[in-house]
Amino acid sequence: MEQAYEIAGAAASTTKKEIIIDIRDLKKTYRVGSVNVHALSGINFSLNRGEICCVVGRSGSGKSTLLNLMAGLEGPTSGEIVIARQHVEKMNQSELILFRQQHVGFIFQSFNLMPYYTALENVAFPLVFRGMSKRKRMKLAREMLCSVGLETHLKHKPTQMSGGQQQRVGIARALVTNPEIVFADEPTGNLDSKTSDEVMNLICDIARTQNKTLVMVTHDPNMAAFTDKAVHLLDGQVVKIDENTREI
Amino acid sequence: MSIKDMLSIAAMNLRRRKLRTFLTVLGMAIGTASIVVMVSLGIGMQEVTKEIFEGYGSLTLINVYNYSYQDPSQTSNSMVWSSGSEVTLDAKKVDEFKRIPGVQAVMPLVQVYGYLKSGQYVSGIQIMGVDAASAEQFGFVLDQGRLPNTSTGSNYELTLGNYVLYNFYNPKTYRQAVDNEGNPRVSLDKSRFQLTFDHRNIYEYEDYGGESTPKGKMYKVNVVGALSQEGGMNAYYTLMDINALNRLYRENKDNMYGLETGKYQEVWVKCESTDDVVAVQEKINSMGYAAYSVQEGLQTQQEMQRQTQMLLGAIGGVALLVAAIGIMNTMMMSIYERTKEIGIIKVLGCRMGNIAGLFLTESAFIGLIGGAVGLGVSYALSYVLNTQIMETAGIRSIIPLYLSLGAVVFSMGVALISGMYPAFRAMRLSALTAIRAE
Repeated sequence: MEQAYEIAGAAASTTKKEIIIDIRDLKKTYRVGSVNVHALSGINFSLNRGEICCVVGRSGSGKSTLLNLMAGLEGPTSGEIVIARQHVEKMNQSELILFRQQHVGFIFQSFNLMPYYTALENVAFPLVFRGMSKRKRMKLAREMLCSVGLETHLKHKPTQMSGGQQQRVGIARALVTNPEIVFADEPTGNLDSKTSDEVMNLICDIARTQNKTLVMVTHDPNMAAFTDKAVHLLDGQVVKIDENTREI
Repeated sequence: MSIKDMLSIAAMNLRRRKLRTFLTVLGMAIGTASIVVMVSLGIGMQEVTKEIFEGYGSLTLINVYNYSYQDPSQTSNSMVWSSGSEVTLDAKKVDEFKRIPGVQAVMPLVQVYGYLKSGQYVSGIQIMGVDAASAEQFGFVLDQGRLPNTSTGSNYELTLGNYVLYNFYNPKTYRQAVDNEGNPRVSLDKSRFQLTFDHRNIYEYEDYGGESTPKGKMYKVNVVGALSQEGGMNAYYTLMDINALNRLYRENKDNMYGLETGKYQEVWVKCESTDDVVAVQEKINSMGYAAYSVQEGLQTQQEMQRQTQMLLGAIGGVALLVAAIGIMNTMMMSIYERTKEIGIIKVLGCRMGNIAGLFLTESAFIGLIGGAVGLGVSYALSYVLNTQIMETAGIRSIIPLYLSLGAVVFSMGVALISGMYPAFRAMRLSALTAIRAE
C-alpha cells in the first residue's frame, strides 16, 4: 500500500518537474544594536510544482524568516529567491502586493480572521481586492467553505467558532484566490494535537487534489509525516533535506 | 477594488467604532455649523446694508449733476479739487451718455419748487421735470393713476409725490387738510388743482413797497396719479413732463430759479445691471461730470463689511480647525489600533493605493456626515436667531444655497486633508511588522 503511494508520487514528480521555488544562497542578517545576527546564512533548496514541503526547525533556527523572505514580507540581505520565474528580491512594495495577489495564499498561526466578518465574508475578503463582484465572490467563498467542511458555519463570526474551525476558514481564505503557492506559518501552532492532525490532513489533501505547492513552517518534526519533503533548519542553515517523508 | 466595496468597508469600519465616530462627527458638525452661522451673519449684514441702500434709490441708477468733478488724485495741487465749476448738461450730452456700454436708459430732468392749490388748501411741491417717455424705466412706483404723458399742448399733467396729499394745509390757519381719522381731505378724483410758482398767489403779505411786478399766473393742472412710497427717494417728487415745465418756465422766469432752457440740472443714467454701474460712473466722471450712485456707496460700505465678515469667518474657522485636528487624531488612533488588520489585508493582496483609499474614504465620510449634520444645525440656529433673538436688532442670518453646498464640500475637503497623513502612514506600514503587532 505504502509502496504504491510512493511509486505514484515518484511518477508524478518525474512527469512534471517544473521548479516553482528556487532559493539560492539566501542570507539574512539582522542588526541588533551593534551586533549582527545571522538569521539565515546561505540557504539553498528548490521545490517542484505541486510539492508539499515543511520547513522544520527549533525556535530561532530562521524558519519564519525564510518564509517571510519567500512571501516577500521582508527583503533578503543577499541571495536570490525565484518564485514562479520571478525574482521576489527585486520587487518593490507594489509589485510584491501584486505578486502575492496573483501567486500566493497565506495561512497564519493565529488565523488572523477579521473578527467583525462572518466566515463567508472572511473567505470572500481577498477577492474584494481583486475587484470581483459581490455575487461572484460570495459564490466562490461558499464553495471553498464547503470543501473545508464548514458549510454549516457560513454565517458564524470567528468568535463563535473553535480554533480548528477558524483555521479551516483561514485555509479557505488562502485558497479562494486559486494561488499556485500556499505559505503556512505554523498552521497548527495554536491547536491541540487532535485538531492539528485534522487540519494538517485537510491542508495537505486540498493541496494535493488542487495541485498546489505548499510550504509550511513548523517546529514539530512529526509534521513531516504529512508532507512530501522536509527541510531541516538549524542556526540559519539547512542541515538536512528529507525526500519522500510522507507516512500518512 | 471597486468603489462600492471601498465605500461599504469604510462605512463598516466607522460603524465598528460608533462612539468615536460619533464624537468626531460631532466635532466636525460643530465646526461646520460655526463657520456657516458666522458666514451667514456676514451675508445677512451685507443683505441688510443692501436693502438700506436700495431704500435710497435704485442700485442701477447713476445721478449726473451739472457741475464738474475733479479727482483730487489726478491733480498735483491739492487746493484745486474743491473748485467745482459748472458744466453743461444738454441733449447732446444725453446722447453721449446713452452710447456708453452698459447704459440702459438716460433721462434728463430739472427740478423746481411750486405751489399746488386745491380749494382752500395748498401744498408746496418739489416738481421734477422728467422725460415722460423714459420715466417709466426709472423706478417710479405708482400708488394710483399713471405717470404724466409727454406734453402736447397747454394741459399740464402731474403725478403727485407720495406725501403731497397729506401735506395740504390752509395757508390762513395753517390747519392740515386731514379729517379726524387722518385721511387727506384732498383726493385725486374729487378735487381740482391749480399750480403756481408765485408765492404771492398763496400768501397775502403786506406789500414792502418795493417795485411791484405782476403776479405769476395760476395754471389748471390735471393730477393723473400719485406715487407710492415703495419707490424710495423718488416718492418725494411730483412729476411733470420736462417740456411742459420748460414752457411754464418761459412764462414764469421771475419766480422759477435754477432753470435754463435747453439745459438740464441733472441726468439720470440707468445701467443694465449693478455690475456695470461703477464702470459707467467712472466713464462719466472722466467726462468731467459729478456722478453719484447708490451702488458706489453700497460697494464702499460692503468693502468695509467684508473685513468684519472675514473676522467672523475666521472665528468659525477656528472651530473647524479644531475639528480637523480631531479627525486626524481619530484616524491616527485608528491606524495604531488596526495595525495588525492593515498588515493582514496587505498580505491578502490589498494594494497600497486601496489602503490609503480606505482611510481617506473614512475621513471623507466623517467630513460629509459632519458637514451635513452641521448644516442642519446651522439652519436650525439661523432660524432661532432670526425669529427669536435678532428680529429687531437689524442683523440677519442668511444661508444661501451656495453656502450650504460649499460648507459640505469644504468640510469634506478639510476631512480629506486631515486624513491624508494617516492614510499615508497606513499605506507605508510594513506588512511584516503589522502582522506581528498585537
